[in-house]
Amino acid sequence: MKKLLFIATIVLLGACQSQQEQTEMQSSENPFFQEWDTPFGIPPFDKIKDEHYMPAFEKGMKENLAEIDAIVNNPEDPTFANTLEELERAGKLLTKVSRVFYNMTGSNTNPKIQELQRELSPIVSAHSDKITLNEGLFKRVEAIWQARETLDLTSEQQKLLADTRKSFVRSGALLNEEQKAKITEINSQVSELTTAFGQNLLAETNGFELILEEEDLDGLSEGTIAAAAETAAQKMDRAETEEEKAKYKDKYVFTPHRSSMYPFLTESNRRDLREKLYKSYVQRGDNDNETDNKQVAAKLAKLRAERAQLMGYETHAHFVLEERMLKSPDEVYGLLTKLWEPALARAKAEVADMQAVVDMEGHEFKLAGWDWWQYAEKVRKAKYDLDEAAIKPYLSLDNVLNGVFETTNKLWGLTFTELYDVNVYHPDARVWEVKDKDGSHLGIFIGDYFTRSNKRGGAWMSSFKGQSNLDGRERPIVVNVCNFPAPVGDNPALLSFENVTTLFHEFGHAMHGILTNVTYGSMAGTSGPRDFTEFPAQILEHWASEPEILKSFAKHYQTGEVIPDELINKLLKASKFNQGFENTEYLAASLLDMDWHTVKADEDLKDADAFEEASLKKIGLIDEIAPRYRSTYFSHIFAGGYASGYYSYVHSAVLDSDGFEAFKEAGDVFDPELAAKLRTHVYEKGSTEEAMDLYTQFRGRQPEIDALLKVRGLDGSSD
Amino acid sequence: MSLPKTLLFCIFLVLGFSAFSHPEDELIISEIEQGQLSMQDQQMTAEYEAALKRQRMRRLAAMSWQQRFLLFIKAGIEHIIPKGLDHILFVLGLFFSSLIIGSLLWQVTSFTLAHTVTLALAALGIIQAPGNIVEPLIAFSIIYVAIENCFFKETNKWRPLIVFSFGLLHGLGFAAVLNEYGLPENGLVPTLLAFNIGVELGQLIVLFSAAALFWMIRKKSWYRQWVQIPASVMIALVGLFWFIERTIL
Ligand SMILES: [Zn+2]
Repeated sequence: MKKLLFIATIVLLGACQSQQEQTEMQSSENPFFQEWDTPFGIPPFDKIKDEHYMPAFEKGMKENLAEIDAIVNNPEDPTFANTLEELERAGKLLTKVSRVFYNMTGSNTNPKIQELQRELSPIVSAHSDKITLNEGLFKRVEAIWQARETLDLTSEQQKLLADTRKSFVRSGALLNEEQKAKITEINSQVSELTTAFGQNLLAETNGFELILEEEDLDGLSEGTIAAAAETAAQKMDRAETEEEKAKYKDKYVFTPHRSSMYPFLTESNRRDLREKLYKSYVQRGDNDNETDNKQVAAKLAKLRAERAQLMGYETHAHFVLEERMLKSPDEVYGLLTKLWEPALARAKAEVADMQAVVDMEGHEFKLAGWDWWQYAEKVRKAKYDLDEAAIKPYLSLDNVLNGVFETTNKLWGLTFTELYDVNVYHPDARVWEVKDKDGSHLGIFIGDYFTRSNKRGGAWMSSFKGQSNLDGRERPIVVNVCNFPAPVGDNPALLSFENVTTLFHEFGHAMHGILTNVTYGSMAGTSGPRDFTEFPAQILEHWASEPEILKSFAKHYQTGEVIPDELINKLLKASKFNQGFENTEYLAASLLDMDWHTVKADEDLKDADAFEEASLKKIGLIDEIAPRYRSTYFSHIFAGGYASGYYSYVHSAVLDSDGFEAFKEAGDVFDPELAAKLRTHVYEKGSTEEAMDLYTQFRGRQPEIDALLKVRGLDGSSD
Repeated sequence: MSLPKTLLFCIFLVLGFSAFSHPEDELIISEIEQGQLSMQDQQMTAEYEAALKRQRMRRLAAMSWQQRFLLFIKAGIEHIIPKGLDHILFVLGLFFSSLIIGSLLWQVTSFTLAHTVTLALAALGIIQAPGNIVEPLIAFSIIYVAIENCFFKETNKWRPLIVFSFGLLHGLGFAAVLNEYGLPENGLVPTLLAFNIGVELGQLIVLFSAAALFWMIRKKSWYRQWVQIPASVMIALVGLFWFIERTIL
């Protein structure tokens, strides 16, 4: 039922009957209702208008439900072909419009799309429920499942069948009516609390502002001051009363958003103001007001535990991890605690380094959380001094793209041809055709690299078309979206080294989406468990920092000079900077997440503060560091889909370090045999096999953490 | 790479494709983490224009020289018709100055020579002139030739020289638009040549159209009073409007 979930989830639904007529009228010109005769089936962006989405969603959902009905009411006995394969085929229109729409919400949005997004959002679950809770459908799947031994299914078919059945079961299909009613009740409470958590947190984050006068800006750089003035100007624009406007006039505003807070904490010489801003950040949702999240978090954890128990699992974590690469809380705790001690030891060493600077400056205070960024920066300058400006000229976007193309060419023989005449949704989005070693078409890669006002921050990979071999060979269209600074004037775009790793990372996801070669689209590419899908992305980052490869593409954009060894060394050394802090705050949050989701249904949970305190005390977190997210603003686990999954990042990091170590051991970062294994067992397989099996087939053994400790400088070797 | 950044972008990655099940979360988490997008029309337009130019430059760099040559001839024509209204008016100003083909030829030739020189010098980066000086002066040149048409029945011998100096200004104007349009890094000279050819073609189209309309009646006794002078006055007025717009407004 991967497909079900896939569609149900990819889909949003708008059930406005009144718009029916209008829908019919528009259908002739709505590009979603037509076959796309564009090159490679790239969506005809020039023809797609904002008003086309809603009718397409409506019609798509209607069609989807009709298709499901047809499967359920098929008079023939259920077979793999007439049930699971038909499910795979269902929802074409819905998928088509969803892919375009959700890509646009992230990379090229506008107020109209944002409004549509809000409007569509509650309808998603409604449509999704209609499919996931369809009893007739489950009965057919279950009948096939019971007969699976006699059916002579391929291993991919077996996995699809098992996954589909499991999703039904996980939605409660095996429960009796009373239990189902209870689950529905819990689900609705959970969804209310989840929404409340997010809304509270948003209010708390937007609610605090540090309004400063000119004389409060001591230490701040020009860029930071300009950004704070801009924030004030925007607030003034939005203010409704004159009085409110006056509050921001000629002032400088900092907020607890990271992009605003970090520069201030790093640069400001006003310790009192640093403390104020920092505390506003870590106290979010914990202010005993009407937007307090302490109770909300505790109630959510408790409800999830109850639900898990009803479904027959020990805790919510057990329920979640069943579908992950690490299968149980024990495995996750095992990994996290193994990393915890080295990380904490390193963090303590970093505190000592910084306290030394504090003392040397003649200050009397003991280093606190709000001093960290400032003193870390001082240590960085002294120990790891790396001049970003000296590196950038070697890293023009075109050179880096050549580097990443060349890397995949040496690994797998891929070639990239830019299609200059194909227009997509924005002139900065570039299009390449990707061909395999034998010249056959593999897919389309779209690279949309520069930041702009209507693009969400961060970087991600997504797709406009999936891969499937069910009804003929269908190849994917994949996109990478990043937020690199746009070039100034006619100069080429120059990247920081961090941008370069981001580019390689997202390109790794793109390769996962492009090399994929499976029969059933719902199991293609990046559809696997979250603690595995970062692996193909993160492992590619390692090639970006291999001196041999770096030298092949990092050439000065004016002189053509190759990046000097001295710079490379500094670059690699700098990657170990502040790792104690970063790993510690991250691991503390991951452990907190696990603690919250291994509570039992009958446990007595008071509020988040007491719980969190106990949890952090147990691991011995130091005062200078807060968990990366405290419970009351841990939106990933309480407002998003990361419950008991925050550990995923470090798990993938274990895999990528350990995986790349294989190439190091082979003595050749392009070792052909290993590269081939990586491709066939990881990049091509999607979720057609268990993730751990895929990894061990590539690596020859299970993953180990030593390589990661070394990469992050947590093995005691760095000082 | 640093962990926080990794985390930040992974959030979007994961929510971006596999957790379509939580589109509402995606919205709220990104708003919490990053604040609201501030989509200001003016800035978005500027960003879009810059992106369009980058796209043109990439396409240019990938073209064969023949394709590029043709493209720039087309661009040159377009920068007269329909985009170069002020240049059209100037050329018409020249047209209404004389009934003698020879004189007209002299003026057009000196205009062409002059703007070729400054266009090349400016495009090659040898000279630079700020738009806020050049643009009003171009408007002034239009007023000047149009007014002169009203006072003198035939052009004086200094006219080609004056037209030449105005041509220098117009060349700077062309260079500015060409720069906005984007010049390829290699093959600058053939590109310039192509653009210039395009500009000449545009100019000739204007002149021939005007000639086709007015040639038959140019010898009529009422031509000067009812065509030449009113047309010149109109041109001068438009020039004046631009002059004011480009200096004061
Ligand atoms: Zn990622």
